[in-house]
Amino acid sequence: MSTSKLGTFEAILLVLSILAPFTVISLSRTMINETKSSVLINIIYITIICLVIAFLIYKLFKKFPGLDILDISQYVGGNVFKNIIGFIFIFYFIITSSIFLRSFCEGLKVVYFPYTDIVYVILLFIIAIAVTNTLGFNSTIRTTSIIFPFLIVSIILLFVGNLNNFSFYRIFPIQGDGFENTFLLGLTNIGCFAGITYLYFLPPLLKEPKKFKYVSILSVLLSGLFIIMCVATLLFMFSIYISTDEIMPLFSVSRYIEFGSFFQRFESLFLLIWTISFCCYLSISCKFSTQILKKIFNLKDSSQLIYILLILTFAIALLPKNYSIINYFETNIYRYLSLALIFLGIFVLVLSNLKKKAGG
Amino acid sequence: MKVKDIINNVFGYTPKNTYHFSLPDDSDNPESTTIQNSKDDQKNSPNIFENIDTNLDYIKTKYNLLINSDIVTRNFILNARGKQYKALLLYIDGMIDSQALNDFVLEPLMMRNKNNLFDSEQNRVISEAVTNNITVRKVKKFNLDEYIQNCLIPQNNVKKETSFKDIFSGVNSGNCALFVDTLPVCFNIDIKGFKQRSISQPENEVVIKGSHEAFVENIRTNTSLLRRLTNNENLIIENVKVGKITQTNCTVCYMQDITNSDLIAEVKYRLNNLEVDSLLSAGELEQLLTDNNILGVPKILVSERPDNAVKNLLQGRVIVLVNGSPYALIMPAVLIDFLSSPEDTNLKTIFANFLKRIRALAAFFTLLLPGLYVAITSFHREIIPTELLYTILGSRQSVPFPTIFEIIIMEISFEIIREAGLRVPSPIGPTLGIVGALVLGQAAVSAGIVSPILIIIVAITGISSFAIPDFTFSFHLRFFRFAFILSGFIAGFIGIGIGIFVYLSTLCDIESFGIPYTTPYAPAINSKNNGFLLPPIWRREYRANYLASKREKKQDKISMKWKF
Repeated sequence: MSTSKLGTFEAILLVLSILAPFTVISLSRTMINETKSSVLINIIYITIICLVIAFLIYKLFKKFPGLDILDISQYVGGNVFKNIIGFIFIFYFIITSSIFLRSFCEGLKVVYFPYTDIVYVILLFIIAIAVTNTLGFNSTIRTTSIIFPFLIVSIILLFVGNLNNFSFYRIFPIQGDGFENTFLLGLTNIGCFAGITYLYFLPPLLKEPKKFKYVSILSVLLSGLFIIMCVATLLFMFSIYISTDEIMPLFSVSRYIEFGSFFQRFESLFLLIWTISFCCYLSISCKFSTQILKKIFNLKDSSQLIYILLILTFAIALLPKNYSIINYFETNIYRYLSLALIFLGIFVLVLSNLKKKAGG
Repeated sequence: MKVKDIINNVFGYTPKNTYHFSLPDDSDNPESTTIQNSKDDQKNSPNIFENIDTNLDYIKTKYNLLINSDIVTRNFILNARGKQYKALLLYIDGMIDSQALNDFVLEPLMMRNKNNLFDSEQNRVISEAVTNNITVRKVKKFNLDEYIQNCLIPQNNVKKETSFKDIFSGVNSGNCALFVDTLPVCFNIDIKGFKQRSISQPENEVVIKGSHEAFVENIRTNTSLLRRLTNNENLIIENVKVGKITQTNCTVCYMQDITNSDLIAEVKYRLNNLEVDSLLSAGELEQLLTDNNILGVPKILVSERPDNAVKNLLQGRVIVLVNGSPYALIMPAVLIDFLSSPEDTNLKTIFANFLKRIRALAAFFTLLLPGLYVAITSFHREIIPTELLYTILGSRQSVPFPTIFEIIIMEISFEIIREAGLRVPSPIGPTLGIVGALVLGQAAVSAGIVSPILIIIVAITGISSFAIPDFTFSFHLRFFRFAFILSGFIAGFIGIGIGIFVYLSTLCDIESFGIPYTTPYAPAINSKNNGFLLPPIWRREYRANYLASKREKKQDKISMKWKF
């Protein structure tokens, strides 16, 4: 029984677990902020585009079975190009995970630890990731496959539990701020499907490489459904102007769930599940960064790198002076960065296919 | 000088100059001073000498006959075909059957009888033919050792050995050794007759609808139990000796046509590569066969029930038995095995699954309940319904300590009561538990040291830990609940969440003989109805596929043919 490769189910969950914590913490708010009441249409539209992108990635990878984006970039431009691509991805993984760690910790600080220095809250996560990253590559992914069903249940519960509080008319005006905002400016929301960037590294990790098509398309489809669920909950619950003000808007939604007069306030249970899934995301991000570095430098053992990367993550997480800087990153930079990475990957793949074609 | 050395020098612990006793040690060549490290000792065991006095001297030296009171050497004169030889019996008093020794060893060897009155020089006639008045006789030259083995020892199990190592091994296990002057061989005669416990009821794995037999200390009795229940010639029972000094007999048992060959090879490889002096119990072997994990979770299932062992054998697992230990080591084992009881398969599926869910809940409570209580009372009071919150606050009014202090006091007290209950003589044990739990708990509440709600939490946690079928796994959960108490105290649900993440990741990283510990859920595989919950008995068609057994199916698609 192979223990070092990922099964199809695990690979799908891996891609989903990259986007899920963001969506729960802040992405839903950002999307509503951008496209207002047309957000659901926008997500459906974006999901279709992302499905096309996922299919395109699969098609482009087809000629390079078992290779990831680093191997392919080496094929295209040699070691230098491979290193450049590798460092761009590492930069992206580290920056996004650091900033989202800070964002999540800021939210926790506001809710539960108002008198605790943010450093200690961040440190808790960093220590946990340091411990788990010393374990095998698959341990976190297996953990994700245990935790993710709970995350899904929490989101469904959030939706179902608040059905009484929903105002479905908030979907109107259905075009939001207009066609341009929904379909043209809204294209930047492709960046919300950050899991696609991890698809570039999946082929060599799959137990059944033939199922890459299945993995890429299904993971994007499920990501779309997940985002719709989260965004719909938020959209139907609050006025778009209120929801965009909240630090962790879905957490606020969870406060309104009531089951009888006995169970009234169990939002902290949601936070428990989200914390675990956030840890999964951080750990996966760190493990992928380590793997890239390992590949760039041809290292046999990457255990020493983990601590360096985590110190870097910790330092970057402490860089923003306040929440508005983090908010700015989440709202404006993150999506564009993800978008750039998605298209960078496609660009490299197209080049490699052209080279292959030219080479006969 | 390395940075590590500098740090060690600056911050390292320098022991004080105090008196301590130590044995002489030649650190440059440790093998010269420590017998246990000498690997050559076993290899240099000489062969049997022809001179019986030399043999006796060697035995005296090796067995320290001047000191050892139970080692017996019996000198006598052996009669063989009219000739007399000096002979010697070596055995351990209390380990042999004296009656059998007298009747079936000493008597035939010492007594003269008519069949034994030939001249020793006379050759044995095998066949005779007369042709043209010429008699042709085929004779066989007289061979004393063959004659003794074939004619003078009416025993079913007699082996001729040439080395002292094999002879001593036999004598140590209850056999008797016969040395005869002029013979460079020795007879290893099986007349074991030591007192042993008879097969009794299992004490730790009690079931209602299953067999009431349990393993005993004698390895042969245990293998016979397995053989009887398996009732199949494909059951292989291989002997392996472990321990340089004790040479403990262990057996590796597996179904030749079911168990994966790589798994068998791996178990045998680990068992054959143990450089230890002694092996006295299955618990020791369990630790020696598995690598350490930070969580201390068991990776081998330990059972005292032969039916449970056979059930696992037929699934494609390997069983290891240790002489002197009434437990079978079942390997590999995954997480769900430790939450299953041998009773499960004897019950109707609906009830078995109900009990399994209860056990999973018990495991959850054992590990997390105290931590969750600390987290809720310290950080997330909003989760408690208002009426209950008032009750809890009211009950804590007279308690001067913070919750963490309260709970740690009570949990440690509970562990002390449990440990004391196990160590004291059995009639007092339960009394001590009741007195400790009731009186101490009540007194602690009355004295205002702890709140009544906390007593409930600790009691539920304690009782839940008893619902876990495997003792080691229960121990693991009990131990790590303190970690969750601490994480709940540090950061509430966030701390517990991080704790769960680290715990799960570590659990997911563990493998038992190459099988992920959290199989079949992480990695998610189609276990073909071999998951945590049991399917109806007619749907248990396949063996657990993560065991990669040679035979996938264990029953037909339609197993209850009488229905159709």
